[in-house]
Amino acid sequence: MDEIKNVVDAALTETEHATTIDNLEQVEIRYLGRKGEISQLLRSIGKLPEEERPRYGSRINEAKERLAAEIKRRRADLKILERRSRRESERLDITLPGVPADLGRLHPLTQTTERIIEVWTGLGFEFVDGPELEDYEHNFAKLNYPPDHPAIDEQMSFYIDDTHLLRTQTTALQGRVMATRKPPFRIATIGRCFRYEAVDATHHHTFHQVDVFMVDEGVSMADLKGMLVAFAREMFGNVVKSRFRPDFFPFVEPGVDFAIYWHNRWLELGGAGLIHPNILEVFGIDSERYTGFAFGLGIERIPMIQYGIKDLRYFLDNDLRFLRQF
Amino acid sequence: MRIPVEWIKEFVNTEADAASIAETLTMAGLEVEETEQSELGPVLNIKVTPNRGDCLSVIGIARELASAECLELKLPAGGKERRWEDSSELVQIEAAELCPRYVGRVLEGVRIQPSPKWMQKRLVAAGMRPIYNVVDVTNYVMLETGQPLHAFDLNRLSGRRVIVRVAKPGETMATLDGEERSLSETMLIIADDSKPVAIAGVMGGANSEVTASTASILLESAHFDPISVRRAANSLSLRTEASYRFERVVSLEGVRAAADRAAALLLEIGAAQKITRSADIYLKPASTFDITVRMSRAGALLGYEVNRAAAESALHRLGFAIKAEGEALSCRVPYWRSDVTREVDVIEEIGRVLGYQRIPERMPGGAGIPGRRSRLQRIAAEIRTILAACGLQEVVTHTLQAPPMLDVEFWNQGQTVPVRNALSAELSTLRRSLAPGLIAVAQRNARRGESPLAFFEIGRVFRMESKNFTETVHIGGLATGPLIPDWWEGANPDAGFYQIKGMVELLLNRLGVSNLEWKPPNGEHSDKSPLHPGRSAAIWVAGHYIGWAGELDPALEEVLGGIRHRVCMFELDCDIMQSARHRIIVNPDISKRTFIFTPPSPYPSVIRDLAPRVKLEMPYSELESSVIQAGGDLLERCEPREVFTGDPLPPGIKSVTLSLTFRHPARTLTDDEVRASVSRIREALEQRCDAVFPS
Repeated sequence: MDEIKNVVDAALTETEHATTIDNLEQVEIRYLGRKGEISQLLRSIGKLPEEERPRYGSRINEAKERLAAEIKRRRADLKILERRSRRESERLDITLPGVPADLGRLHPLTQTTERIIEVWTGLGFEFVDGPELEDYEHNFAKLNYPPDHPAIDEQMSFYIDDTHLLRTQTTALQGRVMATRKPPFRIATIGRCFRYEAVDATHHHTFHQVDVFMVDEGVSMADLKGMLVAFAREMFGNVVKSRFRPDFFPFVEPGVDFAIYWHNRWLELGGAGLIHPNILEVFGIDSERYTGFAFGLGIERIPMIQYGIKDLRYFLDNDLRFLRQF
Repeated sequence: MRIPVEWIKEFVNTEADAASIAETLTMAGLEVEETEQSELGPVLNIKVTPNRGDCLSVIGIARELASAECLELKLPAGGKERRWEDSSELVQIEAAELCPRYVGRVLEGVRIQPSPKWMQKRLVAAGMRPIYNVVDVTNYVMLETGQPLHAFDLNRLSGRRVIVRVAKPGETMATLDGEERSLSETMLIIADDSKPVAIAGVMGGANSEVTASTASILLESAHFDPISVRRAANSLSLRTEASYRFERVVSLEGVRAAADRAAALLLEIGAAQKITRSADIYLKPASTFDITVRMSRAGALLGYEVNRAAAESALHRLGFAIKAEGEALSCRVPYWRSDVTREVDVIEEIGRVLGYQRIPERMPGGAGIPGRRSRLQRIAAEIRTILAACGLQEVVTHTLQAPPMLDVEFWNQGQTVPVRNALSAELSTLRRSLAPGLIAVAQRNARRGESPLAFFEIGRVFRMESKNFTETVHIGGLATGPLIPDWWEGANPDAGFYQIKGMVELLLNRLGVSNLEWKPPNGEHSDKSPLHPGRSAAIWVAGHYIGWAGELDPALEEVLGGIRHRVCMFELDCDIMQSARHRIIVNPDISKRTFIFTPPSPYPSVIRDLAPRVKLEMPYSELESSVIQAGGDLLERCEPREVFTGDPLPPGIKSVTLSLTFRHPARTLTDDEVRASVSRIREALEQRCDAVFPS
């Protein structure tokens, strides 16, 4: 009878001393396996007298169950210990920098452009693209610039040949649209412009503009103001103050300079006004029935104001240390 | 234009200080850009828009201030209104179209000396240099009235008179600045009996200049055609205070008053003794005209109901003569306002004087049409998202560039478009490819120690083909060095051909352009070819060349200072690519969406590897097309797993491990089916690619 107790005691001791799951599995096989010591005890049951067998059998089964339970418990403990030690051994210096995972970023001019597109499409404007290599007609003549007018001096151009130039203003699209569409329409365009200018912190021969115009019945300066103020609020926040001031551009009458109040001074955002009736009439639009407004502004101006960028040259220099900040 | 506040106050009785005058003028459309200090107190620097030639004078500015502040304008006492005298002995006009009026005054007993201090101070404050009394008076009156004046030494005029005519072929004249100028037949000049003595409205001649010994002068006050003066000034590259004003229209009616004012001043300061002769040739008197302005129209344009009395008073202060005409006003335009020609111009004047701050904010009504992006903006946004996700930073480079330095262009059709009036050689052509700009950005950033470098750009490029210009949108990319930067745990591989190819494939795949063909680059390779002949490709889709990708040629890499790694680039034609899209997921026009999804199969796939050994030159595309053809419908995918050369393989042989994925859309595949398919593929590889399979 002590035979069983001896085996069980030895097995329990070994179970308790197993320090890894592997150890424990060996203990399990040694005692509970098909050829294990408990099985051998069971096999020796035949040597016992008939009447002792049931008691002996049930004792072995009890021992087997007890051992299995102990092993199970020990396994659970060892699992916890193993996890604990794995956690310890896998500890990292979390202050080391992560593996650089970098997205490319969009150029700040693109980010501004996207925002502008969002605002004007939201106001019901359709964006249309025009050519950068324009003709004189669309860039000037069709916009009510009289030939040889000093107003052209503000828009010194790069000429390609006698009739072609690099557009000096995205307003050049107006004629292209009016030649093919009948009012009402709400059109916007955004893109690159060029002027014959020496480069410094606030002037560049290459810059970007957005131009917005609509023609419909009953469009007035009040509609222009409402739209521009809405635009300024979307770009610079609800509290921004706006100002309309008389200005002159050949393609509008009345003409407007649109400014916002920023850090204690007025900053011009762009030029605007009601589309000159001469232009509507050139395209066969009844200028008594229809009126329209037009508005244009430089894209660079917006991030310069928003982010305090003092030098226009950053935008086309593509210094990664600049671009990565946006 | 610089004007001392003190001078303005000579004509307007205002208590306002410089800052408030500046604010008033700015809000009336005459922007005061800055206020400077001078010996005479504050000086306003006013930006006068090109339509307001009448405001290029102290009186013009004073009039605007008076009208904005409801004050009276005090004009200098004018001479008695006299009829013009036709004195052709003194002045003869042969080009009436270009000079409709010329006033001459002969003053004798001239004593050349410095002008009085008060006059000198005003000239200095206005930014002009005092010279001596006669010239100072002409400048002073020009500043005061806006009318440019000129004084000739009468005794140096042959025939003692002037003729206004166009120049004769071959005529030349030295201008006051000492330059010898050749005159053209389109230029209006002032001549005496034998020679040109001034370029009308631009500059006088040295040959008739007033000097210390001058005894009598002919004072000129005239109206010259703005376009004629502008063209002459442009063709001589000679811009003067006079030409600047004539270009912006000097009024016909003010010509005489300015002459009288100057003559009176000359006498007053003792620069001359008496006026002995005078002429006022006025061949085409200005016509006055009236504009009918409907109050209802003014309200409709300005966006608020315009008070009729307020409008009348505003126009009156600006010099308009008003008569009621029913609901409307009949407005006689003052002679100095050449910019006012139709109803809307007068409405602007009303709005301007009443103040733009009165305009309310409103949102336009009308049918609400949904806004939308342009076609290009839609695809550009998709492209940017994909390339930025690939880790490329967006850049924006110059359109204007130096002439291309490479013999063989990246884009070999057409010619580069030159700029006729370039700012410099570096800005003398329009880019034909985005590549040079991207390379320059890489060089600049490499020099600043930046690494790795990976950018893209979407921009327009230009070509010229037999006088026709084409403008297309390109997408360009550049990567050099490891795409994921080296870090403390180890180094990463440098970007090479396959990385750039992978990006292009991803981009085109996402945009719905498939069946790309990667062909060897065209043409002979020379040392000036930009691309590595063995590591670059032309990309074709359905018979169209859409771009290229590859590594730069070693010869070019040596030229590119500062970049330490291989430079990989690509460039695609966005317009052709866009038309090659066969699968369009996003389009506001639903009829243009050509994509229908495929439900994923719920049945398991079977993967088999094959490792054919083929000749080194055998392109992978051959293996793949053989596999796909032989694989049949059950073959879902064929991908290369490894390309191996060297020991134990014999030289000239490579082993390509292909991973083949089989799947049936409607049921689980059987072993037999897969086995049959694999053996068909093996046979095809053996027959078509001379493949050998190790036993």
